[in-house]
Amino acid sequence: MNTAKLIRRLAPALLCSLFVAAPITLPAAAQSYPAKPIKLVLPYAPGGATDVIGRTLAQYLGETIGQPVVAENRTGSGGIPGTDYVVRSAPDGYTLVMMDPALIINPTLLPSVPFDVFKDLQVVSRVNSSPLVLVVTPGMPAKTYAEFLTYAKANPGKLNFSSAGIGTTPHLAGEMFKQQTGVDAVHVPYRGIGQSYTDMMAGKISFAFSSAAGALPFTKDERVRPLAVTSLKRAAIYPNTPTMDEAGLKGFDVDLWYVLLAPAAVPAPIVAKINEAMVKALALPEVKTAFAKIGAEPVSSTPAEGAAFIKSEYEKWKKVLTDGNIKEQ
Amino acid sequence: MTAARVLWLNCRMTIRAPKDFWSGIMFIAFAATAMLAARGYSLGSAGKMGPGYFPMALGGTLGLIGAILVVRSLFAPGEPVGRIHVLPLSIIATGVALFGIMLEPLGLVVALIVVMLVAAFAGRDSRPLEAVALAVALAAFSVGIFVVALRLPLPIWPSFL
Amino acid sequence: MDFLANLQIGFGVALTVQNLLYCFAGVLLGTVVGVLPGIGPVTTVAMLLPISFTLDPISEMIMLAGIYYGAQYGGSTTAILVNIPGEASSVVTTIDGHQMARQGRAGPALGIAAIGSFFAGSVATLTICIAAPPLAAIALNFGPAEYFSLMVCGLIAAVVLARGSVLKAIGIVVLGLLLGIAGTDVNSGVRRFTFGLTGLADGIEFVALSMAIYGIAECAINLEKKDEQAEVTRAIGRVWPTWADIRHCTPAILRGTVLGSLLGVLPGGGALLAAFGAYTLEKKVARPPRTFGNGDIRGVAAPESANNAGAQTSFIPMLTLGIPSNPTMAMMIGALMIHGISPGPRVMTERPELFWGLIASMWIGNLMLVILNLPLVGMWVKLLRIPYRLLFPAIVGFCCIGAYATNSNATDLFVMAFFSVFGYLCLKLECEPAPLILGFVLGPLMEENLRRSLLMSRGDPMVLIQEPISLTFLIAAVLLLLVVAAPAIQKKRDEALQE
Repeated sequence: MNTAKLIRRLAPALLCSLFVAAPITLPAAAQSYPAKPIKLVLPYAPGGATDVIGRTLAQYLGETIGQPVVAENRTGSGGIPGTDYVVRSAPDGYTLVMMDPALIINPTLLPSVPFDVFKDLQVVSRVNSSPLVLVVTPGMPAKTYAEFLTYAKANPGKLNFSSAGIGTTPHLAGEMFKQQTGVDAVHVPYRGIGQSYTDMMAGKISFAFSSAAGALPFTKDERVRPLAVTSLKRAAIYPNTPTMDEAGLKGFDVDLWYVLLAPAAVPAPIVAKINEAMVKALALPEVKTAFAKIGAEPVSSTPAEGAAFIKSEYEKWKKVLTDGNIKEQ
Repeated sequence: MTAARVLWLNCRMTIRAPKDFWSGIMFIAFAATAMLAARGYSLGSAGKMGPGYFPMALGGTLGLIGAILVVRSLFAPGEPVGRIHVLPLSIIATGVALFGIMLEPLGLVVALIVVMLVAAFAGRDSRPLEAVALAVALAAFSVGIFVVALRLPLPIWPSFL
Repeated sequence: MDFLANLQIGFGVALTVQNLLYCFAGVLLGTVVGVLPGIGPVTTVAMLLPISFTLDPISEMIMLAGIYYGAQYGGSTTAILVNIPGEASSVVTTIDGHQMARQGRAGPALGIAAIGSFFAGSVATLTICIAAPPLAAIALNFGPAEYFSLMVCGLIAAVVLARGSVLKAIGIVVLGLLLGIAGTDVNSGVRRFTFGLTGLADGIEFVALSMAIYGIAECAINLEKKDEQAEVTRAIGRVWPTWADIRHCTPAILRGTVLGSLLGVLPGGGALLAAFGAYTLEKKVARPPRTFGNGDIRGVAAPESANNAGAQTSFIPMLTLGIPSNPTMAMMIGALMIHGISPGPRVMTERPELFWGLIASMWIGNLMLVILNLPLVGMWVKLLRIPYRLLFPAIVGFCCIGAYATNSNATDLFVMAFFSVFGYLCLKLECEPAPLILGFVLGPLMEENLRRSLLMSRGDPMVLIQEPISLTFLIAAVLLLLVVAAPAIQKKRDEALQE
């Protein structure tokens, strides 16, 4: 890597930011699409392992679609301001958003969301699949999921589990676990799962359903113990860790996924073009390697499959939220 | 002279530390607003605090401190409050709010030039031409630095153009 | 000698041409974003991540780290020159730093900030070399109860830091806490004090609040003063601090460095508390204390040393434990993982060239920053020659861009307008804003940790005094409160006797 290469890499991005910032609302002709750089809104704070997915995707989608894709963080609670920005943008296919399960959790969790996920947005493709990891404090006698379950049932109300906040996937996975097994444990929310590891190593937090990216540094040298992953098949970065399903909790499936969405009014031919480029980008070995390092796997889909997927996820979490009486005000 | 004004003049004579007095009033105002807003949040118990516990406790403390300040200011001597110049402050604050209203629909260039001209208006010895030149120059500089070089998501031009 | 061998590895890595270049690029970029409003190290690092994936992990870490500590230098420049703190940790620098600038001593203020930061950075780097593992153990011992008690201690220190009435200072801290807890409550998800505005769901934005109080309200105050312009341009004075200045500041720099190195290790507000703590400590310890708040050079030296030392040692929990102490560190962990490196205790043994190379580069980066910044002092000082009638609209304009660009949220501008009026009243009523800012930043952390510790103890408040570290902090807080209250009581008695 030298400076010249760096400049070459930066120059188009700098140039295109000019275009992106001055949206030209010409009627988008599907055959000439894409005629200018595409803006990919990432509705969460920059940094952290999850940002990596969005930025890697932007880079390689740009290569397969033939125009630069510029990632832009528009932060705000629950990803709502960023998503709403895309909902309200011109439906020309030049403004897209990548969202996580908060997309379909928010409508049940929050009193109001300014847009309707199923009416105002359409899925272009799925992006990835990454399981959560059930990790326990090293002081816990349990070495397997079965032992953990026995231990948890024998100590009702004594265990704590941490999460990245109310209504986040680690929280809901914990609630779903409690609902399906009858285990009684206290939920302790943090501002990010990474924050809770100090308390887990000190034994103050007994277990957590952590993102794989968050867990990796701590499980690698056994400072916390991974017992199971929450996907239905084993995860590549945890080949020796069983799935919850294998370990005895049949059908337990929690995924920290992302989907690429566009405003609902974007014409189908344009969506088809982006989808085609997405499928190509997600099949690249570079993308696979980059995702794998943070415990994610690229998963592409057709728009219809993507729509069915988020619908089923919506139903799944709606039930967990309602049964657990989890509601924000 | 109305009765209220007589009462006020009497009070004013007894306020010996105006800075403390008005600080106290300000604290009480914030405390009251906070406690009113926090009425709807569940208190919980000391063991399992609800979202209303901390705001209520803080609001109560702040109100108490405000009350003590007010009472004390009637007895202990203190400094007078300097003259409040309403005009420059309100002009600048309005400019800031205008920037907030204009930025998204009209873009950085227009919003920035307007806020800087409004602000310049607040200064006594501002010169119109100079202010315009400065505003335009800074707008150009900001577009170059923040949008082009640093790629911050700011619209440059009005969205309808 | 392990230590020397390690350093040798480190400098061997850091002194290659490529790494020196990346180090320079990092600190230069850091200085720039530290000076500019609305873009901080977090955003910069995030934007550079995709480019840096293609770099060698060592060069990447060296550059990203440079951005982080370079921004600390840049932040103090604006704090001194135009009274706008770039980051929470440079809020205290405005107290004496900006006063010095108004007295025509901006040069020495900037100079001592650079020298103090360099010294502190060097010591902190050495500290990481020698004591990273034991210091990391401290961070591991900090649970919610310990954090809560530490923050109580910090808030009382903020009261000490204020001039004038103790009661008013306590009130201002409590008000800061109240403002800080606005927004979505982490424990329950309830949106507090948002008054129906979705733009406030994440609370009051720090940048908008601090720019309102320090930037805009200050402008309004300045506009009222007659001959303000003459006052600023009258005496630019010396550009460099004298030997006497440096000698005068040495104890302050030393104390700031020690405090900063220790507190910086603690994730969440460590470096911030260090800057406030260092200033408070100087105010209590240094003789004569009366000049603090009126442009005392030690009031710049101590917090600047502390925040830079803290910025360096905040790498300890990241490098040795894999625990992010702030958002920038979280991103660096992400960056390391992309390269297949899991930050944790094993990095030091498995990737010594990375660990020691990064540490050596931090020292080199600090040296570069001094070399870069000292000549810039002359240029910055010239900025003060700009007539105020031109300077203040520019300040207002930059504050607006900064407030918006932080979150792309127009509500932040209305928040800024509101708090500029509030800040103006505070200044008129002699309510100092620095304790407010500390309360504001610590408010949510304090509440979260208190509630978390009580959640874990199932509601037993005794947990706060059963943990020895927590108990120590609470005792220290009580002692500190007595120290604060004692002179006030003493004074009152004297007054009563006189009357």
